[in-house]
Amino acid sequence: MVIMISDKILKSINNLPAFPATVHRVSEVISDPDFSVGDLVNIIKYDQSITANILRMCNSPYFGIRYKVNSPREAVVYLGRKNILNAVYAAGTSRYYKKVKGYYWEATKLWEHSVGVALMSQILAKKIYDREAPELFTAGLLHDIGKVVLGEFVHESFQEIMDLVSNQGYAFLEAEEEVIGINHAELGGEIASLWNFPKEIRDAITYHHRPDLMEKGDDSIPWLIYLADQACMMMGIGGGADGLAYRGLKEVINKFGLRQRDFEESIVLLLKDLDEAKELLDLAENE
Amino acid sequence: MNQIVVGISDLKVSGNIGDVLITYALGSCIGVAVYDPYVVVGGLLHFMLPDSSIDGNKAKKNPAMFADTGIPLLFKSCYKLGAEKKRMIVKIAGGASIMDDMDYFRIGQKNITALRKMFWRNNVLIDAEDIGKNFNRTVQLHISTGKVLVKNSANVFEEL
Repeated sequence: MVIMISDKILKSINNLPAFPATVHRVSEVISDPDFSVGDLVNIIKYDQSITANILRMCNSPYFGIRYKVNSPREAVVYLGRKNILNAVYAAGTSRYYKKVKGYYWEATKLWEHSVGVALMSQILAKKIYDREAPELFTAGLLHDIGKVVLGEFVHESFQEIMDLVSNQGYAFLEAEEEVIGINHAELGGEIASLWNFPKEIRDAITYHHRPDLMEKGDDSIPWLIYLADQACMMMGIGGGADGLAYRGLKEVINKFGLRQRDFEESIVLLLKDLDEAKELLDLAENE
Repeated sequence: MNQIVVGISDLKVSGNIGDVLITYALGSCIGVAVYDPYVVVGGLLHFMLPDSSIDGNKAKKNPAMFADTGIPLLFKSCYKLGAEKKRMIVKIAGGASIMDDMDYFRIGQKNITALRKMFWRNNVLIDAEDIGKNFNRTVQLHISTGKVLVKNSANVFEEL
């Protein structure tokens, strides 16, 4: 897919603070089944902001730690392999959501929405595939990263976008394309690529509203992020100005063989997880 | 003015004229505002799903999550403060949908249907409503006046 990005937007992408190297390094180390706790702790310790965030999150009932965690070492030991990765990604990405301009979203709402999608993607993956997947969590946290950048540009064009959505039957994505020339999902994919994320994460971001357009490769992650995103929009979790103005793709029902009841049960679980993940939600405010 | 926030799957009632009950970001969820002007008592419910039969335990612990358990609790909680059904003004907002969701998980539509059925069976008339479409709504209920304000797609509060 060739995407035209205006110089203005390109400049803004380049102005984003670099993605914390610590996060990718943790991900590398942890992918080795024999990783050493000491190595991991040394990488994490090096980044004070990530360390502080991780210690904060360890108190969250979502991670189920029953001890008071005082050091990065304890955090690594108690969180365990799967959770440490999720926690490090949350700790490293929340910084981008603090200063989202308010045209799309009220401050910190976009982060709340992103955490909601990350949590919901795990719930759905468990229900459908009977397993969780860290790449889903990461993709959930980052799926709307394009909005962080676009939010700066819609200042002048926001009314135009909203007019197309409210009065002319446009979906929000189509209105973005028409007015700005690119939608937030494609832009997010570009940002993820600039940040050296693997292809599966980039695709999940690029196609999170239109997984049906993915041409080849495993499309289950984009579809799961799509469904988790739709659920969070329906529940108004971190809801923004775009509201529910996105097209529903009914293929998702056949794709996963999901019944109405499964979907509603997942929503009930999401509310519980959100409640237990308050410390994650607060990260963007504490940055 | 004392603002009381009603969360997702939550309900609050009040008889204090200084109180404003508010609930944010109703997507497919529905906000039900009830008010008895005679005793100056009102309540606001933010329910999430139509039917509690998907999780009976949850419904017991948190009846406000579902239409069929939350709506009765909303009315009963107001009765406790002296409200009477025959005087109660009922306004609803929310129940938005994803676009083109005809064959999809129609939570918004199902919530609206569940609520209408419930009201029909119990002879409750809806005095005003702002439902459907595809944007988020924020709802306020002012206890002093019974006024219900809904934030619309243009981000402006309007009286319902």
